[in-house]
Amino acid sequence: MSTATDRPLTPIRKGLISEPIDSPEAFRLLGSKCGACGELSIGTNAVCLNCGGSDLSSVRLSPEGILWTFTIVRHAPPGDYRGPKPFVPFGLGLIELPDGVRIMAPLDGDIETFRIGARMRLNLNVLDADSPAPLAAFSFSMIG
Amino acid sequence: MSDVVILGVGIHPFGRFDKSAEEIGADAAQQALDDAGVKWSDIDSAYLSRMYLPATSGARILRRLGGTDIPIVDVEAACASGGAALRQALLAIRSGESEMVLVLGCEKMPRGFMDPSMIYAPWQVQMGMSLNPSYWSMRARRHMYDHGTTEEQIALVAHKNHRNSVSNPNAMYRKEFTLEQIMNSPLVCDPIRLLEICAPNDGAAAVVVTTAERARKIGGRPVRIAACVHSIARYSADFRCPADSMSATIDNPGPTEVTAKKAYERAGMGPGDIDCFEVQDTDAFCEIEIYEDIGLCPRGEGGRFAAEGHTQITGLHPVNMSGGLISKGEPVGASHLGQVVEVVAQLRGTAGPRQVADAKTGMAHVLGAGGNCAVTILERVQVHA
Repeated sequence: MSTATDRPLTPIRKGLISEPIDSPEAFRLLGSKCGACGELSIGTNAVCLNCGGSDLSSVRLSPEGILWTFTIVRHAPPGDYRGPKPFVPFGLGLIELPDGVRIMAPLDGDIETFRIGARMRLNLNVLDADSPAPLAAFSFSMIG
Repeated sequence: MSDVVILGVGIHPFGRFDKSAEEIGADAAQQALDDAGVKWSDIDSAYLSRMYLPATSGARILRRLGGTDIPIVDVEAACASGGAALRQALLAIRSGESEMVLVLGCEKMPRGFMDPSMIYAPWQVQMGMSLNPSYWSMRARRHMYDHGTTEEQIALVAHKNHRNSVSNPNAMYRKEFTLEQIMNSPLVCDPIRLLEICAPNDGAAAVVVTTAERARKIGGRPVRIAACVHSIARYSADFRCPADSMSATIDNPGPTEVTAKKAYERAGMGPGDIDCFEVQDTDAFCEIEIYEDIGLCPRGEGGRFAAEGHTQITGLHPVNMSGGLISKGEPVGASHLGQVVEVVAQLRGTAGPRQVADAKTGMAHVLGAGGNCAVTILERVQVHA
């Protein structure tokens, strides 16, 4: 998907994307690991969503995982959707990372080709690339 | 603990109407009062279940029944709002604070996909992760992968529910479709198709709740509330929170399994003791998973269970005799009370062509955003002459 812009990128969700967002190769998502129960949640959180503990440490999530399930979104999502206009059907899936979390993400690539168990890789996906304030979002695509 | 009963029920059909929420809500409420054989002035407190209607809608709607100073409270718990409101009535009566409570569910919703700003963070909406059916579909896809559930089994559930709705005057779509028509209807989010999902719409349903003692004095046809339980999904237990991620290490039971278990315990019943079920068929696959969650069949066998016809009106465990949300539509605040109206009709033996033979017990189940789930179990009251 789109990565080309020379304007500074704003993370689509504060604390979810490692900064600076310097290159697509160094692009990573961030998670919070609980020192008490060991659970990992996505983003930078103050409290563990599982046990309520506050001993959290920030981790850089693995950029590769396995497709756990998926669907094809065939109608434009309602509300403030920033994807291509006119709307193009796209894959949406849960990618299981070796870190112990399954993360929801749009899937790049041919909608006919996705399959559960496929190896997936994280991509930087710039939304509103032509606007004064483009957003750094993310997606996954199949490897190979 | 004294028994609490539903003494009267009322429903305004689910569909799309050129009428205000006040009109359809007051209509259902008045029907429930009439059915109970009581007057608006007999009511001690009232609850409105709603998600889309604005603040103070309960008071605005129920003022149409006449001047009052009773507490009228709006209750919201997404698709489970009706269960949460009915539970408030149960608590009000058990506390002794109220003896006669009206619970109304009412909604007017725009066509199309639900407003994502209510339940999704802005970044999820911007990235395109705000289409409710996409979450149900991902769950279906994984079930197919893990258990061999087929698209035909999913379509068979929609086929059953559409067919049941033909004799339900309160349903929005009252049309039977062939399996082929369902399986050839447009994909919304693979593998779920247009004729397999419910649509948001307008509707209202109401119940009058009171003590068994008061009901005996009034007469009529009370139905006992054997359980009314509301809970939300445990950590990482449900896709439709809607989740931005799920744990790959903790596998908590889903909200339906947890809530049904609590309801069975309160009622002192098990799945085999319930004669009929109305459940949240947000989409046809969802109903298959609910069979497993409420214990009608083992985990993974819901698709086969549906295909074998066990959940038909004439089957061992009839499910969605009313046609379900797939054919009634889902006016969110009214949906659970609509299910309760159907179950009460079944227990009174007044469900006509949809009647389950000699139904003595029934369950109503809803599940939605925030992992909100409610389960109500009703039981026929033996009337002694």
